[in-house]
Amino acid sequence: MHTQQNLQEVIAKAFGIAPTDITDELEYQGIPEWDSVSHLVLVTELETAYGITIEMEDVLTMGSVAKVKELLKKYNVIM
Amino acid sequence: MKGNNHLPIPFTMSLYDLINKNQDLFFIDAQTGHAVSVKTMHQSLQIDNTQGLVFIYNDNLIGSIEVLLNFLNSKFTVVLLGAQLHPSFKQNLEELYTPYYIYDPGRKTIEGYKSTQVSASIRLLKRKETPAYSIHSNIKMLLSTSGTTGSPKFVKLSDGNLVHNAYSILDYMPVKKDDVVPLNVPIIFVYGLSIFTTNCMAAGSIVCTNNDILQPAFWTDFSKYNCSTIGGVPYVYEMLHRIGFFKKDHPSLRYMTQTGGILNQALRTEIARYISTYGKQFFAQYGQTEAAGRMAYLPQQDLLEKAASIGRPIKNGRFEIDDETSELIYYGPNVFGGYANGPGDLGTWHETNKLYTGDVARVDDDGYYYITGRIKRIIKLFGTRLNLDEVELILKNALGGQTVVCTGINDKYLRVSHVNDQLEESVIKLVLKEKLQIHPASVQVKYIPCMPLTPNGKIDYPAVMSVA
Repeated sequence: MHTQQNLQEVIAKAFGIAPTDITDELEYQGIPEWDSVSHLVLVTELETAYGITIEMEDVLTMGSVAKVKELLKKYNVIM
Repeated sequence: MKGNNHLPIPFTMSLYDLINKNQDLFFIDAQTGHAVSVKTMHQSLQIDNTQGLVFIYNDNLIGSIEVLLNFLNSKFTVVLLGAQLHPSFKQNLEELYTPYYIYDPGRKTIEGYKSTQVSASIRLLKRKETPAYSIHSNIKMLLSTSGTTGSPKFVKLSDGNLVHNAYSILDYMPVKKDDVVPLNVPIIFVYGLSIFTTNCMAAGSIVCTNNDILQPAFWTDFSKYNCSTIGGVPYVYEMLHRIGFFKKDHPSLRYMTQTGGILNQALRTEIARYISTYGKQFFAQYGQTEAAGRMAYLPQQDLLEKAASIGRPIKNGRFEIDDETSELIYYGPNVFGGYANGPGDLGTWHETNKLYTGDVARVDDDGYYYITGRIKRIIKLFGTRLNLDEVELILKNALGGQTVVCTGINDKYLRVSHVNDQLEESVIKLVLKEKLQIHPASVQVKYIPCMPLTPNGKIDYPAVMSVA
């Protein structure tokens, strides 16, 4: 599986930055590229990439890349 | 429906006096939980007693608010700018306007300025050479016509403009003396500033925060401090919907406010359902920086019947629609005193009560107004006003003078059309992202072999927009 690589690409695409800049420590509002606008772009990109529907409440919990990964586990996305 | 504020209007008092008169007002620092009284902030900073410009790079935290209050209570003219503004834009504006003081907690030094500690916690940068230009005594505040393009064009507002605007809002807004108000709209935008001024005059506590509604900390504070209200542009309401805000009651919430465009029908219906289920109030409003904030509002009972209307003019304001152009013209005591494109424009004040809004409108038989189009080349992307001519200029400069034409698509996308088949889409998106923080997903780039021109050689914008 290349899901790990994919996740970095999905996030990178949503933020408009390079996949190599995506680390687990990256946080919401920690870089100019991860703001409220791109946060919702990220939600949509994740839903499309993994065929999931992210619950409204979960949108708030995605405060870092590590937390996005945790959330994807909850949605049974294999990484 | 009227608010609870049938106060006689003491227009002889300044905005600051009216805020300071609200002696039970507290500012809550969301980062520490500390509450600071308006009395404690009164003359809390050691600043010079002179005329001049102060640049406040605001982050909505309590330090910015303290600086703002101290300078409102001074002879200075306050220039509100965003802390997130691109560094090169900050530098350009500072070189042009040579402000006397700068508040920008993110920067330790600026060439030509010396650091000065004005209180235990607040540091300002003070210009070494006193700028040699005069400022008209009416000009209390300069607000940017756009939050992000770094344009040197500012709207000149008087203290009277701000006071009239605040009173016209308090006439219908149900602000109460013990209300708790989160500053979730940045005060560099005239809407955020209106929320700030009206509630400082009539509410109980202001929660100073730079958390936004997509951060759990914001909602922790919202419950902890029992916030009474929330405000936002349509995009914020779309986000509120996305995070499930309308699925449950928020017991402390009494009313919501909105401006910056018309909500879509589905969202309007959802909000109407929410406010009737839980007994809340909702105020859709219409305004512009040039009117120091507000021009019209839609009472909530009209939210569904008068769908898509901006409502009726505020107290002491009135509308007129131009016979030939259908442009909406506003008259009121809150109309600004002209633009400033540089320090040379600060010596004058153009007194008027008439404002050409740049919006095309119609009015129905009941006196409700509807915006049907825009004359000015302005779009709103995620609630942020963007002047397309300014965006075009920034792009052209960054791309070595190439022909690029910017248009908007339903306030959802910025369309960049160009005539160079070698020009990479990613280059354009990178410039827009770096200079203006415009998200690449909201940019559409279109190569067209031949740019449509009008007979006199200008860009034919309607024709560009019709190129599929």
